[in-house]
Amino acid sequence: MTTSNNFEPSEIDLRRRKETPWIQALRSFVRQRSAILGMIIIGGIMLVAIFANQIAPYQPDQVLIGQESVKKRQPPCIHLLGCPKDQPQHLMGIDGNVRDEFSRVVFGSRISLMVGFFTVLVAMSIGVILGALAGYTGRWIDDGTMRFLDVLLAFPSLLLAIAIVSVLGPGLTNAMLAIAIVTIPVYARVMRSVVLSAKEEEYVTAARSVGVPNNTILFRHIMPNGVSPLIVLATLGIGTAILDAAALSFLGLGAQPPTPEWGAMLSAERNQVFSAPHLVFFPGLAIMLVVLGFNLLGDGLRDALDPRMKNR
Amino acid sequence: MKQFRLFTLAAILIVAAMVLAACPSGQTGDQAPATTEAVAEPTAAPEQPTVAPEPTAAPEATVAEAEPTEAPMDDAAMAEGMSFGLESCDGFDGIVQKVVAVDDMTVEFDLCKPDPAFLSKVAFSAFGIQPSEWIESTGGTGDLLDHPIGTGAYMLDSWNRGDSIVFKKNADYWGEPAMTDTLVFRWLTEGAGRLLELQSGTVDGIDNLSPDDFATVEADSNLQLLERPALNVFYVGMTDTFAPWDNVQVRQAIAKGIDRQRIVDTFYPAGSEVASHFTPCAIPNGCVGDDWYDFNVEEAKALLADAGFPDGFSTKIYYRDVARSYLPDPSLVAQDIQAQLKENLNIDASIEVMESGAFIAASSAGDLDGLYLLGWGADYPHITNFLDYHFGRANVQFGDPHPEIYDLLEKGGQIADPAESEAIYVDANNAIRELVPMVPIAHGGSGLAYLADVEGAQASPLGNEYMAAMKPGDRAQFVWMQNAEPISLYCGDETDGESLRACEQVTESLYAYEINGTAAQPALATSCDPNEDLTVWTCKLREGVTFHDGSAFDAKDVLASWQAGLDASSPTHVGNTGAFEYFSTLWGLMNVPAQ
Repeated sequence: MTTSNNFEPSEIDLRRRKETPWIQALRSFVRQRSAILGMIIIGGIMLVAIFANQIAPYQPDQVLIGQESVKKRQPPCIHLLGCPKDQPQHLMGIDGNVRDEFSRVVFGSRISLMVGFFTVLVAMSIGVILGALAGYTGRWIDDGTMRFLDVLLAFPSLLLAIAIVSVLGPGLTNAMLAIAIVTIPVYARVMRSVVLSAKEEEYVTAARSVGVPNNTILFRHIMPNGVSPLIVLATLGIGTAILDAAALSFLGLGAQPPTPEWGAMLSAERNQVFSAPHLVFFPGLAIMLVVLGFNLLGDGLRDALDPRMKNR
Repeated sequence: MKQFRLFTLAAILIVAAMVLAACPSGQTGDQAPATTEAVAEPTAAPEQPTVAPEPTAAPEATVAEAEPTEAPMDDAAMAEGMSFGLESCDGFDGIVQKVVAVDDMTVEFDLCKPDPAFLSKVAFSAFGIQPSEWIESTGGTGDLLDHPIGTGAYMLDSWNRGDSIVFKKNADYWGEPAMTDTLVFRWLTEGAGRLLELQSGTVDGIDNLSPDDFATVEADSNLQLLERPALNVFYVGMTDTFAPWDNVQVRQAIAKGIDRQRIVDTFYPAGSEVASHFTPCAIPNGCVGDDWYDFNVEEAKALLADAGFPDGFSTKIYYRDVARSYLPDPSLVAQDIQAQLKENLNIDASIEVMESGAFIAASSAGDLDGLYLLGWGADYPHITNFLDYHFGRANVQFGDPHPEIYDLLEKGGQIADPAESEAIYVDANNAIRELVPMVPIAHGGSGLAYLADVEGAQASPLGNEYMAAMKPGDRAQFVWMQNAEPISLYCGDETDGESLRACEQVTESLYAYEINGTAAQPALATSCDPNEDLTVWTCKLREGVTFHDGSAFDAKDVLASWQAGLDASSPTHVGNTGAFEYFSTLWGLMNVPAQ
């Protein structure tokens, strides 16, 4: 059954119908300024991460004592803004261990992006498979899996991550694993709901009636329906994962010194918020930017990929 | 339908259970509201006996024992109950053999060996005196940990765990009464937070100013900065029961491979200095003997190569994230040492931050397999407080104790005249330098800040600020903010400065340190005089002193307090951890069961 339409299809609508859904989504995406802004931010940060060695003037753990006449927690020195030329230039100042803050922020982008992509990849891989199997097979597998995931969802995610890291031990890898584990249910539930609605569709029944094996039906005919929502979820999830990793590092459970992780950098200088504000401002700004970028991008993708958002 | 009914019934039961559980009174009994009230309004009920139960609450046997304190003791009581200790010193490594109540106001300490630092040691707050009845009724633990009954200028009013401790003025104090009616202890780990509280006027004084905040306080006319003399040491410890620290060449390589001057210049405030010896030079014989090794990377690398580690190795750096005057920025110093080890010796060190209590327990027990960052602030101004505590026969924090060191310390500790013992301490300091159980890094200066109108502001070299002698302008209460919450208020079994400082406001020892100084002066004892060879010290107790619960102070209380700490066979030797570390290291525990 199709919904009735009182309007005559215009020429533009007809042209649109000839386009693939992906082209339509792309067209919708590029029309959104905020999404483009998000993409520019993320693209910029990715470039910084890729070319960190070329951009950063120092290695992130290079202590400058004895190499330059700089002091601990020295404020930024930018020649263009009037800093004397005889002083070495440090765009974001010097940190408490006499290291170049700008270089650490630049290299920190690698850590944050790695955390974001890794955790989402792991969580999505496991969550999608669990959700698809639960939704498709139903019965006790569905009940068992979803109740277990409900239990996971019942915990505040950061608290659960802290508990997991406490068991595994502090460190960036363990923090990433912990964040991945606590986000598995989100992907599993989305995938399950997609499978539950799709498996009742006529094309699935048809495929089943002609003897297509279950795994083919699931993986080739049903699961592609979940791509759109999962892309949106994953994009937003990267931002959340970066934020969670920064929080864990801030608490001393994530990246360990001297890793230039933004949350850990914030934590190390939290006491100097008044005496050396640049040391909390720049890592904080970097976290804010990258999370904002992924959120804008995620919102844009959702608007572009969600059929219900069309023409709004 | 049946299932629906069952579900409805279950839901009603769950809701009913939740309502009952949420109900504040009823099934929980009468004690719950009383406790809650006491916590919520600590200062509103000064009349309530929140300090501690009266001695009459003790078991009958204890009350009966308490009675003799009101009357002169007879010979039988003297003979039976008024002494404890060992028959002889044979096979005993400790110092105190016996403590005897000669009469109700005289106590005698019989020592197995001369102890010239006796007065300095008895003045320490770990040896505060509490009523014998209270100690016995609590069994040496439980309420004793939270409710000290002392004789000090302040008495405990309430301890709101996680928030504050409130003390009120002891109107019957035997000495100069407190200048303010109420004293409040608060705590905050973050240095910036402490300074912010002071700047906003919510506290009157703060401990351990962050090194970078010295200038801020000096520039603020509403605040005053007091620098605490550097009577401490920060060191990098190694436990030689773990490889590769069992190799003395590796330890020497670490000693030469760390640029200590760089650490002091970068991370310490003015008034700090690189440690030439473990003990600060302000203490007699502290820095006799050869100075510590100079920073020399080539020699360090050669030593490491000789030891079989030409390419370095991997290890860990343990520390607790707690600022101390000897280590004001633990995280930064740990990272700098990590960077130096990598840069100078190609040693890969990962950093492990531990919870404070767990860190102290593990380091004290010699359980840390890597380098660890620890320090020591003087408890009493004598070289034995630094050397004997760390390198004595009983201390395993650096692994197996070295007889080359502790034999000398035991000799030196028996000589009263510093000039006479100098040669021994030269050898002891040189032996420490040769064996490198640790690397002394710095003697750290530190700062305290007060509001400008606080009169009599103090910066004690021993870290035991006496709050009763400070007046916060015209405010009714003095609010002190330190780094951390006390662990317990039974300081016989605590070692952290935060607990000790809080105890010092409530309990007193036989002697006390002068305000802002280190000299020991009479407190609960009017005098403690030695015999000729310094092996018997006779203390005359102060007359007319009463405890905060109203009971009279006498020799029995001294014996009970000391026995709880010293005598491992005593039923009151329980405490918080049971370690009684200061009793153990400064005097030696007696009657310790064989392992």
